[in-house]
Amino acid sequence: MAEFEPVLLANINRPNSFTRKEYEATGGYQSWKKVLSMDRNDVIDIVKSSNLRGRGGAGFPTGLKWTFLPKDHPGPIYFCLNADESEPGTFNNRILMEQDPHQVLEGLMISSYATRTSTAYIYLRYEYPGCNKRLQDAIDECYAAGYLGDNIQGSGYSLNIYIHQGAAAYICGEETGLIESIEGKRAWPRIKPPFPAIEGVFRKPTVVNNVETVACVKHILDRGADWFKSMGVPADPNNPRDAGSYGPKLYCLSGHVEKPGCYEAPLGLTARQLIEDFGGGCWKGRSVKAVIPGGISMGLLGPDELDCPLDFAGPGKYGCLGLGTAAAVVIDDQTSIVDFLHNSARFFAHESCGQCTPCREGTSWALKMLNRIKAGRGRLKDLDLLAEIGDTIGIIPGTTICGLSDGAAWPIKNAIKKFRGEFEHYIKRTNPDGYMVTDPVPVFETTAH
Amino acid sequence: MIRVELDGQQIDVSPGTTVYEAAEQLGMRIPTLCHHADLSPVGSCRMCLVEIEGWDRPQTSCNLPCTDGMKITTSSNSLQNARQSMLRLLLEHYHDAASDNSHRPQTEFERLVEEYDAQNKADPSCMQDQQRYPIDADDNPFIRIDLNQCILCTKCVRACSEIQGRFVWSVAERGDQTRIVCGTDQTMLQAGCESCGACAAYCPTGALADRMAFRAGKPDRLVRTTCSYCGVGCQFDLNVKDERIIQVTSAADAPVNGMAMCVKGRYGYDFVHHSERLTRPQVRQYLLQETDWRQRPADRGPWVEVDWEVALDVTSRKLAEIWQESGGQAMGVLSSAKCTNEENYLMQKFARQILRTNNVDHCARLCHSSTVAGLAMAMGSGAMSNSMQDIAENAAAILITGSNTTEQHPVFGAMLRQAALRGCPIVVADPRRIDIAEFAVMHLRQKPGTDVALINGLMHLALENGWHDADFIRQRCEGFDELQAVVQNYSPNRVAEITGISEADLLAAAELLCTAKPMAVIWAMGITQHTTGVSNVLSLANLQMLLGNMGVPGGGVNPLRGQNNVQGACDMGALPNVFPGYQRVDDTGISDKFASAWDLQAAEHVDDSNRALDQQPGLTVTELVNGGQEGRIRSLYILGEDPAMTEPDSNHAKACLAATEFIVLQEIFPSETSEFADVLLPGATFAEKEGNFTNTERRVQPIQLAVPAPGEALPDWLITSRLANQVLERTGRTPLGEFAAWRYAKAADVLREINSLTPSYQGITPERIAAGESLQWPVTDANHPGTPILHVGKFTRGLGKFHAVDYLPAVELPNDEFPLLLTTGRVLYHWHGGEMTRRAAGLTAVCPEPLVEISPDDAAKHAIANGDWITLESRRGTLHARACVTNRVAAGVVFGNFHFPQKGNVNNLTIGALDPVAKIPEYKVCAVRFAGSS
Ligand SMILES: Cc1cc2nc3c(=O)[nH]c(=O)nc-3n(C[C@H](O)[C@H](O)[C@H](O)COP(=O)(O)O)c2cc1C
Ligand code: SF4
Ligand code: SF4
Ligand code: SF4
Ligand code: FES
Repeated sequence: MAEFEPVLLANINRPNSFTRKEYEATGGYQSWKKVLSMDRNDVIDIVKSSNLRGRGGAGFPTGLKWTFLPKDHPGPIYFCLNADESEPGTFNNRILMEQDPHQVLEGLMISSYATRTSTAYIYLRYEYPGCNKRLQDAIDECYAAGYLGDNIQGSGYSLNIYIHQGAAAYICGEETGLIESIEGKRAWPRIKPPFPAIEGVFRKPTVVNNVETVACVKHILDRGADWFKSMGVPADPNNPRDAGSYGPKLYCLSGHVEKPGCYEAPLGLTARQLIEDFGGGCWKGRSVKAVIPGGISMGLLGPDELDCPLDFAGPGKYGCLGLGTAAAVVIDDQTSIVDFLHNSARFFAHESCGQCTPCREGTSWALKMLNRIKAGRGRLKDLDLLAEIGDTIGIIPGTTICGLSDGAAWPIKNAIKKFRGEFEHYIKRTNPDGYMVTDPVPVFETTAH
Repeated sequence: MIRVELDGQQIDVSPGTTVYEAAEQLGMRIPTLCHHADLSPVGSCRMCLVEIEGWDRPQTSCNLPCTDGMKITTSSNSLQNARQSMLRLLLEHYHDAASDNSHRPQTEFERLVEEYDAQNKADPSCMQDQQRYPIDADDNPFIRIDLNQCILCTKCVRACSEIQGRFVWSVAERGDQTRIVCGTDQTMLQAGCESCGACAAYCPTGALADRMAFRAGKPDRLVRTTCSYCGVGCQFDLNVKDERIIQVTSAADAPVNGMAMCVKGRYGYDFVHHSERLTRPQVRQYLLQETDWRQRPADRGPWVEVDWEVALDVTSRKLAEIWQESGGQAMGVLSSAKCTNEENYLMQKFARQILRTNNVDHCARLCHSSTVAGLAMAMGSGAMSNSMQDIAENAAAILITGSNTTEQHPVFGAMLRQAALRGCPIVVADPRRIDIAEFAVMHLRQKPGTDVALINGLMHLALENGWHDADFIRQRCEGFDELQAVVQNYSPNRVAEITGISEADLLAAAELLCTAKPMAVIWAMGITQHTTGVSNVLSLANLQMLLGNMGVPGGGVNPLRGQNNVQGACDMGALPNVFPGYQRVDDTGISDKFASAWDLQAAEHVDDSNRALDQQPGLTVTELVNGGQEGRIRSLYILGEDPAMTEPDSNHAKACLAATEFIVLQEIFPSETSEFADVLLPGATFAEKEGNFTNTERRVQPIQLAVPAPGEALPDWLITSRLANQVLERTGRTPLGEFAAWRYAKAADVLREINSLTPSYQGITPERIAAGESLQWPVTDANHPGTPILHVGKFTRGLGKFHAVDYLPAVELPNDEFPLLLTTGRVLYHWHGGEMTRRAAGLTAVCPEPLVEISPDDAAKHAIANGDWITLESRRGTLHARACVTNRVAAGVVFGNFHFPQKGNVNNLTIGALDPVAKIPEYKVCAVRFAGSS
């Protein structure tokens, strides 16, 4: 990676990197001023040809998403910047917003212009008061500089940006949950269709993009689509569904590594490279037992799967859900996978919005079983039941509204499949008399939070 | 059209049709738990999964729109498994404390569990959680809550917000702690519940259920019928077991209301089986004493229970005697807006044919006589011009004035809330800040009794700004110049002074109401019950003609009729000036038609030289009641009315009734009026007889015999016919004309007679009603489809007539001695004089006492706290009621209701001043003062 120059993180270590003055000293807002006189379709075309894919987790092509907006809608069209960042292990958005908020804002402004948006909301994770302050200061500076407000720079274009703070729920990051929340309602994801591009906030066309996604937009407008595509992993010509993995990416590395942190590299880095080249290897001289490739909902890579490339297509090839937020969490060989799965189950049972039958009931059922296993009453049969739950809940089996349930299912599926021996061993050891029992066992502990 | 294929069958559907709906059209049943056609889709239960060819995972059919060429599989092994696993998952928390459910009908959820064999296959290891929530812990008398059975389909949440517009239920917590919650974890009533029962009606599990029906067993049969409370005309199913009503359930195909109902319709049925029902005829003892029966003792004396033969014998003897001595002019017939069309027809036939008098009237006099008179003058027809659903769906703006719609016509009120939620701006003009004002974009709080000034002011601004419809005025109306001349005098400045509404609000309201087309006007007794009632109605008619809002969908003049059949009672001619169908008694041609149809032949010894019918319009309710004291009226035959309760100035009304020589009262309960009656005849409730009601939008709907009447009580049409035959016999007359006889075997025989004599009801035949047709009059022949909108293209009277009307103040305004202005009305949980609702346990539990609304200002001035018992007095009487301190009324205004008898009746205070044309009393304005509070 020697030749790679950080893009998104280029300025975060400069003193006062969060001020407009510093930002403009390194060429900030040049693209914004340029864009204001461009045809917005040209802006969209540039983003489209860059093959930029969303950084929020689903990897949807950004330019394509923008073209779903109705062409002749009288407005208003809304832009929601997804800054809810609540996938466990993920903190790249936070670094951008705290250290280089103008970069985010410029990206948001360009994206808003391209999508004919007159109002943009930044849906900000509640636990990020620092970001809130930096962003609001930056927004104020932009109004003062005439970059926001009515008839910006005489272009006839008007844009207002508001920060909307969430209230500490994972589901608010799901784009339609986020939309409901902005409307002041409970963040219960909406069924689709209609998609947000047709009916989003206040039933108006709406775009939802992640913080890092719009930050990339700014750089694409600065340096061009070809530059962006010069980084990363090209599309697999044999897979028509693969849109490639281009551009720089912020990788969050945490867990049992020597140097956790947020690192920038072109897409396609392997898990091993991330852990070893950037993270200084597994901590305390131990070895890696498992890696969460991109946030807890993506599942688990086993110790023999560390060469998995962390691009949009890579983790899927190893049975994981996907790249997710590219937030890798390292689990060392001293850690119990039973504990890991119990922890994960607790998280999802708590965060399920409670709407879909399989998600609400399945996550709590899984947790109850894991509680029981942990309490020494597990049975081998429970592993099949867990696997069955893992296979039947979620969007991928077609049984839920949003992807949270997939996120709950994947760790279960991967853990049971890839570490079944450890589970069996644990059950036999902790429940020597009862592990073979198949009769009903009463539930002795429910999920009081 | 879009073509899709379901399980190999092809079907063409219109764009927007969901896969579920397409399957339904093919008669296929896809299981659902969270879906209902009335509610917005949420797609959360995941029961309705289907497979689509070429798609990699199953989809929920309840929200998936069909696209051309879609190939859908609705049942397969994997779908069965998926659905079974949804049910298994739900059973994880579902917990029914009852061990035996054979006592009640199976719920939708139980049915699916059985169908998918989910209970047996479930791995019980984590199932059947313990009870997690308290059972039946809410104090709402109508709804039983057991959240242990809740599967979180959120139908209750959506029903409450989308159908009822009440937003009581929502969802709290998340994950497996998710639960539905009332308000901010309050009780239902605290959270603003109106007890309409929609949540329970849509609940598929019994988590929310009708408390009164709990453990009542499975019904033997369901009987579709029409509500006997308000004029909305909801239909529903009476659930009958062992000849008792055990529950009222929604009928999704009810023409007006669908699944919706209000608390009175759904839960106010227990009066039917109340122990105080009249079960045997009673007469005063003096009537049985051979020597005394001509002379009534002053205190009327004790009651004696008798059989029908004696009762009818005594009654007919006395009526015949008075008729022979003083003629029909000394006799009065009070018909009933609570009874059927057939019964009202017979009551007026009794008066006109047998007693030869037009002295027949009913309580429409007291609620909408000014509407009938005013609209007849302006347009030629005194009824609601448009339909409720039409207004709710098509109006571009709505003016609601003098109608507390959500409490008095609750299901229509809920439809108006839905209209507001779809974005239709509502302007409420009402002295009180009534509930629907919360859904309005503007609330104009005019001083009571200043409506003409307000409407003239709106028209003034319309003309000034050119918002009127000049073409409509030119082509379809007359009298515009006179109107313009008067309206000119109502400058915003002057109107603001009279009404107390600011000029700015007036202008904003005028612009909104006059520029949105179509705009619908809705009113009720806040407009009509004034000495200027007819002028008020004429003003509203002027406004709608000026704006060209007549004869179009979503517009019109829309008086909301109060009682279940007040429209029908008027239609049937239970009015002193018209035969059925508003055929005038003073029109010789019409009179001759009825004279020959009802012709009677007198026996030789009887002098009956004049066989023509009386062509003089008769006396009105108030005149008939007063006539007793004046000596003009000797007898009253009263059907299902309670004038001692509902007349204004009830002390005076009671004195008049006491002075009336002979009163026959046909009732279901002993009422306030029975004290003054000489004969009490036990009638039947709506559940015990057949016939038809006509709702406020002119829709004729049947009631059915569901349970037997108690004891010897009889259907009212039968009682009247029997009495008629006896009086005919005693007066020596025999039927001659085609419809002169009183031989009716069933109510439908009466309807046939109505069809023949009433052009607007001609096509509303027993056959069409039995076939399930829901017709709105006029229906002029057997093939006529009915008339949802009146005055299309042409007014009933030809040209619409503007009437220039000036503002006149109310008769009795506050002064130093009586400083408060009293206005009156009703509350959600009661109806009319409260005879029925006070005998419905749940309704009385929620609203047990008379209330008077007092502004915080006045309360503070008189040191009255919320809930204090207070006494109000007017020049005529006193009212004892609980104070409800609220901003709903402005300072200087108090509001009371007439649901409670004796000291609790607001009519002790009201004034008997009448509108000169319609003779409607001014219930809405009089002057009162506090007599001190305790
Ligand atoms: C349960 C759940 C939580 C999510 N949380 C986030 C989040 O915190 N931030 C985010 O950007 N996207 C999140 N997403 C993804 C969003 O739904 C959406 O795909 C994304 O914001 C789109 O932006 P992008 O196209 O720029 O990636 C979440 C999705 C799910 C199912
Ligand atoms: S999948 Fe889970 S989190 Fe997503 S909408 Fe359904 S219940 Fe809510
Ligand atoms: S109470 Fe009934 S209607 Fe409401 S969510 Fe629960 S099961 Fe559904
Ligand atoms: S709205 Fe009227 S007709 Fe309907 S249920 Fe209530 S009282 Fe009966
Ligand atoms: S019925 Fe379709 S998801 Fe519930």
